[in-house]
Amino acid sequence: MATHESTVDLVEGDVVRQFARAAVLAALIGVLGAIQIPYPLSPAPITLQVLFVFLAGLVLGPVWGTASMLLYLAAGAVGAPVFSGWEAGLGPLLGQTGGFLWSYPLAAGLIGLVVHRGTDLRDPASVPLPIVVGALVAGTVLVYAMGTGYAAWLLALEPWEAIAGFALPFIPAELLKMAAAIAIVTSGRIEPVQS
Amino acid sequence: MLSYEPDGTLAHRLDPRSKLAIQIGFAATALAHTGLRALAALSVVAAVVLLVARVSVLEALYAYRYALVFLTLAPLLAAVTFGSPWIDLEDGATSARASYRVLLILLVSAAYVRSTPVRASRAAIQRTIPGKPGQLLGIGVALVFRFLPVLQADLRTIRDAMAARLGDERSAVDRASTIGILGLSRAFDRADRLALAMQARCFAWNPTLPALSLSRLDYPAFAVAVVLALSAFL
Amino acid sequence: MIEFRSVSYAFDDVNVLEDVSLTIDDGEFVLFAGANGSGKTTLLRHCNGLLTPDSGEVLVDETPVSENLVAARSNVGMVFQHPRDQFVAATVGADVAFGPENLGLSRQEIDRRVDAALEAVNMAGREDERIDALSGGEQSRVAIAGALAMEPTHLVLDEPFTGLDDPAKRSVLERLESLSADGTGVLLATHDLRDVLALADRVVAMRDGHIVVDEPPARAREALSGLEVRVPEA
Ligand SMILES: Nc1ncnc2c1ncn2[C@@H]1O[C@H](COP(=O)(O)OP(=O)(O)OP(=O)(O)O)[C@@H](O)[C@H]1O
Ligand SMILES: [Mg+2]
Repeated sequence: MATHESTVDLVEGDVVRQFARAAVLAALIGVLGAIQIPYPLSPAPITLQVLFVFLAGLVLGPVWGTASMLLYLAAGAVGAPVFSGWEAGLGPLLGQTGGFLWSYPLAAGLIGLVVHRGTDLRDPASVPLPIVVGALVAGTVLVYAMGTGYAAWLLALEPWEAIAGFALPFIPAELLKMAAAIAIVTSGRIEPVQS
Repeated sequence: MLSYEPDGTLAHRLDPRSKLAIQIGFAATALAHTGLRALAALSVVAAVVLLVARVSVLEALYAYRYALVFLTLAPLLAAVTFGSPWIDLEDGATSARASYRVLLILLVSAAYVRSTPVRASRAAIQRTIPGKPGQLLGIGVALVFRFLPVLQADLRTIRDAMAARLGDERSAVDRASTIGILGLSRAFDRADRLALAMQARCFAWNPTLPALSLSRLDYPAFAVAVVLALSAFL
Repeated sequence: MIEFRSVSYAFDDVNVLEDVSLTIDDGEFVLFAGANGSGKTTLLRHCNGLLTPDSGEVLVDETPVSENLVAARSNVGMVFQHPRDQFVAATVGADVAFGPENLGLSRQEIDRRVDAALEAVNMAGREDERIDALSGGEQSRVAIAGALAMEPTHLVLDEPFTGLDDPAKRSVLERLESLSADGTGVLLATHDLRDVLALADRVVAMRDGHIVVDEPPARAREALSGLEVRVPEA
């Protein structure tokens, strides 16, 4: 018994904590995909998923925020009904939503990097507001650039057609999510794991 | 909603890795072609895949109904032009063909979802991606499946509580941030308890990997995947 | 054997354990009682190195926990409150296998242990069931099976009965009784001694980070008065 046990390489405690949070946040984003908010300008209902992509970067930081989004994509790809409207499978990652979905890990990473200025986490409530706003705007632009860019290529649309169909209608909703993200981090009620 | 269902079909008996390979091969060639003949051929392949996994086309279409909205919208957007003649049918037709291949990709992925249990997908991930990233990704995917119903119940409680407290009359930002704070803090409380439990059970970088082995059926499946991928260059 | 030698521990400069010494022999059934915040949880989390003492030492089978965490964690199985948050997989069998997989055991040995652990909690043959569909009592028992699959000499349970109705609680107690009869040591922290006192060999009560009672059940009753612990009527 002792011989094989000595070769067990335990995962470090702070890694386990961040990893557990990343996985649970990925599941939470999946659950939000099923909660659809009817929205007059959009042909399909909108969800709060992108708000939680922001939060992944803000609260988990660049490394674990990105990891969390990758877990979300991987779980969806192998069949967890986590993409908006309960969708699952590799298809949504390659279909017209693919650009949006693949932008999530990058956006969470970007927001995390800007807000935490590196991989050591700090309390996002203590970060100057303009930096947080700037990070969220940059993240949103990234999400929509990748999302509409890929959709335009995939569906043979002119850029302005893709923007009209996949971006413009959602701008008010995105502003709302940014405001909510700021309200959440400034509330100080979500503490990052200090390592 | 589409999900895994135990069955004895050929698709169920294939290794998850060969099923992933077929999907990737199919997507590669579908993304490279929009000609009518290619689309006809791809349709036949997609139909065979669905048949093999015993997924009805209607059911798969229903599972991707929101995607269908956008896929129908795209040709309309493409066809509309500012100024005379207002409608450009050729642009619309090009976009319709492009949308149709996306639909085929979605349908093919439905077959994987129906025929592959989480356990097999986790094994495929851990055996394909080496080292620490593969271990975390495999366990992480299992955790997402595990926590979906738990968090769903949490979110329902939160929404009920908000509705009970006249939440419907609050501003949209207020509602979204309340869902965010309550949802996230509950989820993180659960994550912190989960982390303790995983440590108590010796969560390790180098566990025994779940069993997975290729059978005779998988070699032809890989060959199909390769042929599909190569046909992208035709 | 679990041995605490002058263990002290503080959270943010507040002493939670002060110079605690205690020895628990193999096979003993020990109850940990005490008011909220008296330090039970903090003490028990030292048994498998989830917490490390500020001063003093904890030994499992005469090896300091800090020297061999893996041995401590596999010899002292631990189950926490809220079993729902302690599962790593969506199905029973995949979850119970987590511990032995981490120990790097062979697939055959893992399967054997999963079967034995499920048998021990009266859940034999239910590997493929979804954890989410189980009752609270069944979930608690599966959580216990997850710890047992590491074949520990001791099982630590911290408030395992919160949220369980009476029949569920009884089904868990019955399993603990049979495990104890088969020689597994049980360390059980609870506020409510009414149903468990009869099973125990020993009662340890804490107040403000000190052990204030350490007696066999027959003599503990009187000493426990004034500790906010519910004891059976005489
Ligand atoms: N993570 C923590 N950070 C700061 N203080 C803590 C932490 N966990 C516990 N404490 C404090 O340590 C003391 C002992 O807590 P502990 O949880 O060990 O008590 P307990 O006897 O298990 O109580 P309960 O019956 O409520 O479970 C309490 O005063 C508690 O406030
Ligand atoms: Mg406690």
